[in-house]
Amino acid sequence: MKVKRRFLAAVLVTALILTAALTGCDSGSNSGSKSNTANNSKNDANKPATTDTTNNASTNDAATNDASTNNTTNNTTTDKPADGQISEFHQSSYFDGKNLPDVKDRLPADYKITNEMNEDQLKYEVGTYGGTLRTVTSVANWDADVFVMDNEPLLNTPSILGEKITGNVLKDYLLSDDQKSISFQMRQGLKWSDGVPVTTEDVRFTVEDVLNNPELTPIFPLYLRSGGVAEGAPMKLEVIDDYNFKLTFDRPYGGLLIRLAIQGWRGYTELLKPAHYLKQFHKKYTPLADMEPAIKAAGFKKGEWVNLFNYKDITNWKLNHSEAVGFPVLYPWMVTKATKSVTTYERNPYYFKVDTAGNQLPYIDKIESTLVNDIEMVSLKTIAGEVDFSRESAALVKMPLYKENEKNGYKALLNNMHVTPTDLFLNLTYDNPNWQKVVQDVRFRKALNMAINRQELIDTIYYGFAQPGSIEDPTFDLDEAGKLLDDMGLKKDANGKRLGPDGKVFTIPFEVGAQAPDIVPYTQLIAEMWRALGLNVTMKTIDQTLWGTRLAANDIQATVIWTHTPLWYMGDWGQANWAPVWDQWHSSSGKNGKEPPEDVKKFYAKIDEAMAAKPDDAKRLIEEVKQMMKDNVYYFIPLSDVKQPLIVSDKLHNIPADSSFAIATDFSGEQFFFGK
Amino acid sequence: MINYISYRLLQLIPLLVAISIIVFVIIQLPPGDFLTNYIQQLKLSGNDVSESAILNLKQQYGLDQSMIMQYIYWIKDIVLHGNMGRSFQFNMPVADVIWPRLGLTVTISLISLVFVWLVAIPIGIYSATHQYSILDYVFTFIGFIGVAVPGFLIALVLVYFIFIETGVSVTGLFSQQYLDAPWSMARVLDMLPRMILPVIVIGMASAASLIRVTRGMLLDELSKQYVITARAKGVSEGKLLFKYPVRMAINPLISTIGWTLPALISGEVIVSIVLNLQTTGPMLLKALMTQDMYLCGSFILITSVITVLGTLLSDILLAAIDPRIRFGGVGE
Repeated sequence: MKVKRRFLAAVLVTALILTAALTGCDSGSNSGSKSNTANNSKNDANKPATTDTTNNASTNDAATNDASTNNTTNNTTTDKPADGQISEFHQSSYFDGKNLPDVKDRLPADYKITNEMNEDQLKYEVGTYGGTLRTVTSVANWDADVFVMDNEPLLNTPSILGEKITGNVLKDYLLSDDQKSISFQMRQGLKWSDGVPVTTEDVRFTVEDVLNNPELTPIFPLYLRSGGVAEGAPMKLEVIDDYNFKLTFDRPYGGLLIRLAIQGWRGYTELLKPAHYLKQFHKKYTPLADMEPAIKAAGFKKGEWVNLFNYKDITNWKLNHSEAVGFPVLYPWMVTKATKSVTTYERNPYYFKVDTAGNQLPYIDKIESTLVNDIEMVSLKTIAGEVDFSRESAALVKMPLYKENEKNGYKALLNNMHVTPTDLFLNLTYDNPNWQKVVQDVRFRKALNMAINRQELIDTIYYGFAQPGSIEDPTFDLDEAGKLLDDMGLKKDANGKRLGPDGKVFTIPFEVGAQAPDIVPYTQLIAEMWRALGLNVTMKTIDQTLWGTRLAANDIQATVIWTHTPLWYMGDWGQANWAPVWDQWHSSSGKNGKEPPEDVKKFYAKIDEAMAAKPDDAKRLIEEVKQMMKDNVYYFIPLSDVKQPLIVSDKLHNIPADSSFAIATDFSGEQFFFGK
Repeated sequence: MINYISYRLLQLIPLLVAISIIVFVIIQLPPGDFLTNYIQQLKLSGNDVSESAILNLKQQYGLDQSMIMQYIYWIKDIVLHGNMGRSFQFNMPVADVIWPRLGLTVTISLISLVFVWLVAIPIGIYSATHQYSILDYVFTFIGFIGVAVPGFLIALVLVYFIFIETGVSVTGLFSQQYLDAPWSMARVLDMLPRMILPVIVIGMASAASLIRVTRGMLLDELSKQYVITARAKGVSEGKLLFKYPVRMAINPLISTIGWTLPALISGEVIVSIVLNLQTTGPMLLKALMTQDMYLCGSFILITSVITVLGTLLSDILLAAIDPRIRFGGVGE
């Protein structure tokens, strides 16, 4: 007995001493990982970048182009066969023995040839089939990486640059000269993932029975009103034949094209829903009594067919959801199984894109998205090589960690980021006369802009991987800034603090949510810089939900969040952040909110004009918007061109070059393939 | 006795009603709801969710109703249909989310509990019988560290070192292919080695404190008269120790079993997050953060019911042992 006890004791002592020793060593790694916890949403999916359109759209104006011209314009190999010239098609062996029609019959006659990236961004290789792509997410029912990879817009803009607009799910478009109507051509023989043909009946159903049904769509979408503004009349649909339809507006609206291509990640589901499937849940086509069992099964109360319909209708942002299983789609991969820990996507047998050699895309057969408890777990799995693709959760601050572990089978790339790192907002309409008097004075905003030391921000927070923003004057001049404040009459008190018009110390209280790891240190640095002007700047970190609620309620005076503004011509210009009350006035056509001053009205009008204009006009107009922004500094855009890490398995091919946007790489996922 | 138990059971009803109301109100207190969270998540990801869709979702999730109506619907469904509502995040019935995780949590907690007892009691006894010996000091030292260092920190450090040394990320309870597989021998075998780390980490802190408790209790007992008498009468040391003092010393373990019940199902939240375990703790935390109110409400309600029942259980046990308690409440 004694011997046994001693033995047990000895074993335990060793184990415990070991643990105690280990506990001592590691404050470093712990604090390191903690500082990054808030990383989740920043690197997010999203708004595509950039510049402006060139003349492509106008070439489309001339006549209904043959889609082949359209499809091949951006292909990387020089001598690409036009549509209809590929004589032989191939499919993944994944479909062997699955009792499907021949691949040629599954593809539309108007198939689309990938790839639409510029040649300097991607040297396209014809790939081989097979493999499972592993991704990780920390949010239930949502994986931004898979979402971006899977989502298919109606139109496409190659490399997400907005320079050209080509057909995607729709084959082609024709904008009328007065920009009051757009004709769309659909792909003949395109089929839903269950094999049913896609026709204008699906468009008609979506527009007439869903969008124009006030029960299902209580508020008609703003972007589908003429000109994309509140006072515009809702668009009208005209079905020409099985494969052609036309949208008409009562005012010019060429800007709809780019909105359908990329803005807000609009998928094809906005105008194209599988009518044959959804009719069984629509009161117009199915008697309510027949729907009751389904309503009950979905957990709704008797007669709630609207809830049932909305539950069954998988819009594009629900494509990750567990209830999307079995819903007919046009995506490269469709959800086939969703549990609480893994969502599995399998290839769509009827996907409409092929490569130049006639191989039906995608190359990769399956995607497995694993749900983990915490964003830090994503990092651990990444560096252990258990992830094949990760953009959403990758953060610049972790780049050294990624690089250090590259031997585990992945590459950490540094691509361009499609959003500004962080912009600064002062709420010009915050309900306090003293505050409004100061911040609505353009001299004040110019002074603050001049007090931002951009180089310090770039070096300290972004390790040099960013540029000073070009929209506003990047000059750093504290003396000049101080003079502007003196001009305004913001005197200093005995302690060197500036006093507001009410004679009290003027305070800028920043309230930020930690949506990205850079927001808090960034705000701290800015606070230091503005304090140098004698201003009292404070900072408080609050919960993200609270932040969102307070922002919407016009309760936040100063904050920091990223935008897409300078990168992309249809960017949102952060109106809801720098003047929520004026923004309400604008977006409700003057029904709500308060009327803004003349200069702001002009600014809004110019944005509206640019958003409604066809792409090549929009490019010119947005330059004018930028000039107005420079003159008025409605909010601060100190930096641009920040970098975004992208984790890809080192076996993956057809990964675009570093010069492309990380999000554009993600978006072209159907062409990735695993090399041997 | 029957009277006493039924009296206590009757007391439970208003208590549970009060708990459920408090739980529901507290969950609803933070600004916004699940939907504002969800929409913000989508918007930050660049999605443009139309106002129509938001209105429809509100209606679909019943968030357009007042808080009182939401509570009434929820509680009515639980009482009448045993249906705890829908989890917004997972978009499936709450029960389907909770029960599978509960099984794993109870398994891990039970194994940890056994581990703690197996380790702590012998050490406690050794420390007490060999007071001020070298090993006693060593155990005491380690015990204090174990109590002082939070479990999640130990977990982080272990995960870090195992990764650095082996390149394996020891997280989760299953490897990828068994993550959602039905239960089978292969799945159990896959799970067992992965249980070692969480069991050690979760057990560490309670083992350390249990060592201290056992040592203290036993030391008290050992100096008592009956031990000295027995020793004087020539009872062998081993028998002397295990016959009475040890039984007395582990008494606190038995009387706290009632409290252990809720701990068994709620799991070690932070450790589970660090180790990515599919247990209830992280689920609850996430549900609270995303304001998935039926999920957290139902889970907290279940924990409360079990706590209340656990307390009842220990009361009954105590009443069975001590007649004074039995008569105190009712006055038969």
